[in-house]
Amino acid sequence: MRDHLELYLNGREVRVAGADAFRTVASWLREVRGETGTKTVCEEGDCGACTVLVGAPRGGAIDYVPVNSCIQLLFQLDGKHVVTVEGLRLGDELSAVQRSMVDHHGAQCGYCTPGFVVAMTALRESNATVSGRDAREALTGNLCRCTGYDPIIEAALDMTGGHGKSLDELYAPAPIAEALEAASDSVRIDSGSRTFFAPASHHDALEFLAAHPETVIVQGATDFGVQSNKRSLRPDVMMTLSRLDGLDAISIEGGTLVVGGRATLTSLERFSEGRVPSLHAILRLFGSPQIRNAGTLAGNIANASPIADTVPFLFVCEAELELESVRGRRVVGINHFYKGYKKLDKAPDELITRVRVPLPAAAETVRLYKVSKRRDLDISTFTAAIRMTIGGGRMSGVKIAYGGVAPVVLRLPKTEALLDGREATEGLFREAGEVACSEIAPIDDVRGSKEFRLLLARNVLMKFFHEEIAGGPTARSGGAR
Amino acid sequence: MFVGRNVPHDSARGHVTGDSIYVDDMPRLANELQVGFFWSPVAHGRIRSLDLAAARAIPGVVALFTHDDIDGENRFGPIFADEPLLAPGELSYIGQPIVVIAAESREAFEKARRAIVADIETLAPIFTIDDAIAAKAFIGARKTINRGDDAAAIAAAPHTIEGVFHSGGQDQFYLESQAAIAIPGENGTITVHSSTQNPSEVQDVIAHVLGVSQSQVVVVTRRMGGGFGGKECQATHPAAIASLVAQKTKRPARIAYTKDEDMVVTGHRHPFQNRYRVGFDDAGRILGMEVDFYSDGGAFADLSTAIMARAMCHAENAYYIHDIAISGTVCRTNSTPNTAMRGFGGPQGVATMENIVEEIAVKLGRDPFELRRLNCYGIDDRNTTPYGAVVENNTIPRIFDELVTTSDYARRRDEALRFNRESKTRLRGIALTPVKFGISFNTTFLNQANALVNIYRDGTVQVSTGATEMGQGVNTKIAQMVADELGVELSAVRMMVTSTEKNNNTSATAASTGSDINGGAAIDACRKLRARLADCAMTLLADPGDPRAQSAASIVIRDGVVFDARRPEKTMTFADLVHAAHRQRVSLGERGFYATPLIHWDVEKFAGRPFLYYTMGAAVSEVEIDRFTGMMRLMRADLLMDIGSSINPGIDRGQITGAFVQGMGWCTTEELRYTAEGELLTHSPTTYKIPNIQDLPEVFNVAWIENDTNTINTKGSKAVGEPPLLLAISVWAAVKQALMSVAGGRVVPLKLPATNEEIATRIATIVDA
Repeated sequence: MRDHLELYLNGREVRVAGADAFRTVASWLREVRGETGTKTVCEEGDCGACTVLVGAPRGGAIDYVPVNSCIQLLFQLDGKHVVTVEGLRLGDELSAVQRSMVDHHGAQCGYCTPGFVVAMTALRESNATVSGRDAREALTGNLCRCTGYDPIIEAALDMTGGHGKSLDELYAPAPIAEALEAASDSVRIDSGSRTFFAPASHHDALEFLAAHPETVIVQGATDFGVQSNKRSLRPDVMMTLSRLDGLDAISIEGGTLVVGGRATLTSLERFSEGRVPSLHAILRLFGSPQIRNAGTLAGNIANASPIADTVPFLFVCEAELELESVRGRRVVGINHFYKGYKKLDKAPDELITRVRVPLPAAAETVRLYKVSKRRDLDISTFTAAIRMTIGGGRMSGVKIAYGGVAPVVLRLPKTEALLDGREATEGLFREAGEVACSEIAPIDDVRGSKEFRLLLARNVLMKFFHEEIAGGPTARSGGAR
Repeated sequence: MFVGRNVPHDSARGHVTGDSIYVDDMPRLANELQVGFFWSPVAHGRIRSLDLAAARAIPGVVALFTHDDIDGENRFGPIFADEPLLAPGELSYIGQPIVVIAAESREAFEKARRAIVADIETLAPIFTIDDAIAAKAFIGARKTINRGDDAAAIAAAPHTIEGVFHSGGQDQFYLESQAAIAIPGENGTITVHSSTQNPSEVQDVIAHVLGVSQSQVVVVTRRMGGGFGGKECQATHPAAIASLVAQKTKRPARIAYTKDEDMVVTGHRHPFQNRYRVGFDDAGRILGMEVDFYSDGGAFADLSTAIMARAMCHAENAYYIHDIAISGTVCRTNSTPNTAMRGFGGPQGVATMENIVEEIAVKLGRDPFELRRLNCYGIDDRNTTPYGAVVENNTIPRIFDELVTTSDYARRRDEALRFNRESKTRLRGIALTPVKFGISFNTTFLNQANALVNIYRDGTVQVSTGATEMGQGVNTKIAQMVADELGVELSAVRMMVTSTEKNNNTSATAASTGSDINGGAAIDACRKLRARLADCAMTLLADPGDPRAQSAASIVIRDGVVFDARRPEKTMTFADLVHAAHRQRVSLGERGFYATPLIHWDVEKFAGRPFLYYTMGAAVSEVEIDRFTGMMRLMRADLLMDIGSSINPGIDRGQITGAFVQGMGWCTTEELRYTAEGELLTHSPTTYKIPNIQDLPEVFNVAWIENDTNTINTKGSKAVGEPPLLLAISVWAAVKQALMSVAGGRVVPLKLPATNEEIATRIATIVDA
């Protein structure tokens, strides 16, 4: 067992022990290392100014993904190669991305620029040719207040100059990967009252949880990091699952999607493309690439937000959660998992190891809705999932779940019962809207008024009716994807 | 020649590598203190007592200061000195500084802030413009611009409309939050690194608050990570607070707001609530108009009255309205003191006018663009503004003609209307709106600038001006002008940090005037230097065999090469010329000055020529709306501007796209929401939604017309910083049109911003009716 972190920063090995391991990556870079190219602005993973590349070694190679360093804790980067904006040039020569950003006026005030440069570097790494659409998707997690983005997109379409080297050409992956993979033991760091543990086996993880039921599992930290920065959340005992094999797997087994407890939303997004289109569509609107690269499906579930974007889908699919502890394994239906606001049917020593999602049949219609003030990278005001089979003029197997209308995501049994077995008419859906409103208890908050949410509760049913039943293919809205 | 060329921003290389240094990137100094403040938790109240003992006892806490510790004057302000740096007793808004805390670490500071016990008597707050009007709580005097007889014209008009138009606040949302580092020096001096658009004002306020002379204070601004008006006045607070700590503790002091703190404690764009009454004829010609503007100034004056003046000077936008009355009142409320933001009242005035045009059009069943064309200012007649200035160099008719064609406006409008008749799920709207934006500070004396140009013996040049670089590229443009004026390569010209030590009594880099006035001052300095160098060159390049007299006028200095035009074969380098001039004891440094000509403004009568010229433009925006969720997407935008002769097309294009998208945020998704107690809820980007890259329209055409006739301004250019922000009003107008197109000819009121909630709620009222 190690008592320090082993990582690489811009090609150089770094060991970190003690209190620094509990800092955010951004504050470590800026305040400890004095490398101030990485900027912190929002400290909540929403602006991307702090974006860095995190490279995970895998069999001698290194895969880099952009993440928000302001909400990653340094201990999460054990065993990783971190590349920051300072690590992209080659001597005096700019990288292709840097050169293009200069030439296309992609930087004005410059404060968001390091984040854009890093995110765009990830885009260039993964795409041989880049379209405007690719650029928008890859840069969704970066806010710029100066340029109006147009010059940045221009820059992304012309990443041909500069030294032109890829990350693997800048940093030969084999020696770094080898060194990082060699340090495969578990890690425990104690600093003052705080403890961090990264178990190397499943068994160790469950034993540790049993011994320390107060443990907070910090995997993606996409919410934990925000709570830590903004609400001084400072749990004494934290654990990550990053060293556990197998928990990152995603598969479809007999019509059931099985998602491992530490599988990231990015890997789920990739896996669901073409396989589970409705889920894929909503994952594309989930947070940003940086957030999806860090966050997990299990984390989204366990965080228990009533506006978690994936949960309505899991509700109408009647997903099941596998919970493990030293006491054994049990399965809980997600429709019974939430007992109240942020209250779960999960013991402190239990770990969500898998999420099982029985997938709807091809003939079924499943639609997920996310209403937010801004379409992309925004927390929802209201979410919904509507699932049914429409055949012979009648609806059957109707399942409806709404989020953002109560302390937890809700199924709407009365609304479902009203529609089930009936012929789909505008009048019936109008009536269903009224019933739906009787089943929910929305409140006023920063993202919308109670009245707006009640309006959406009615309107989303009308939207489903007009787009999926009454209208042809042209009825589908382009405005709210 | 470099003016007119697309050269990269002079900091671009540093920006993309992370080398550029912002205030909080500066290495920590030994002994440096971390500074912040405890602020008012109530919108209106009175401090009964403050207990600081527990906070003082926290390890790492070095000092706490209240208004009692201020040696100079606590109250300051750019127009009225009504704002206390530290609340003396009465609390006027949530976020108002009460106690300054200096600590060894941010952590100790946070603990101390939580440990302060304030016993506060809560008083009834004023939050809305209506409440302020009822309480007669105003800032400054109500002002009026009046021409003709508006009441008679409206009474005689065949048709009238009236209503109230609401526009919301907007956070500047510069990415770099407010920051300053104050370093005490000897003899009571202090050097302050400040992220400010206005170093001279920061210097002034620090001297005023510390009770020292302005000559004891040096304020340095290398760059800002964005300003957008938010650092015109409100960078003074953190800088003065850090300076107070430096003065009292004799230690360097650093303050850097977090984004949340910044959004809570600083002011925003002013919300406006504007009443209007308009008379018009069957053709849609506006015969008389009366508008009554009310803005939410917040708790203290800041720049509110100046912002109201600009709003009033833009109330008619691009339209000639002979009989008109415009009045403006700033309301005092218990919100953060609202302040400058890109456009400075102009957007609030213009949006009101464009709302009126939309409503007239729906009343008459006409295409709003026809009305815009009809009412537009004329070239030779119908060209005097309500405040008495002539609209010169008017290119709006030309822009209209060109844009309506290039954007395929008419066909797309027909298509959108047909689409709306057929679609049960979506709505489309398309609007073409113009902007005429006055350039110069409304306050005449601010329109001055100075510059310092130093040439070194190797032929390289340092330029210092009062302009502050916040991303807009002002330094790059000035460097281009200097290179051309001196005849050197652009690479020989280096723009230096802005410092009050080099440039005194400067105006804020604001009102889009940065490169006009500071460039003008730099050109003045260069011309004096060039004349002296030409005199030297004349003798150095003299040919004894040439019978013609030596002539400085025939000396050419271009791209670093010097020759006599009459004998171009004999050349010398600029560096050699400079070296020789130095040997001849010729001064190689010069100071330049610029005062904007022709302008004047009567602050009592609200009449005159406040602006040297107008920047103009128009935009066509087409939106699509989901009828059920109210979610809106800008599908296409076509922008066409008149920016005169562009000094740097790449930079200017970036100003246009950036301003438009920022304006789109104000018009659509950016909404400041508060609790009933006046606490800002939307104080970070998770809840305050500025446009994202995905909000950029799929088709985004940006262009400007050729216009080399604005010779009245520096290098024939027209300022570009603010005007394109107002083009985004076309997005809002397109939403309004989309809603009204299915409302059976009725006017549908629509607030700005048109959020999805506002849109969906309005659609519901149309459906219900």
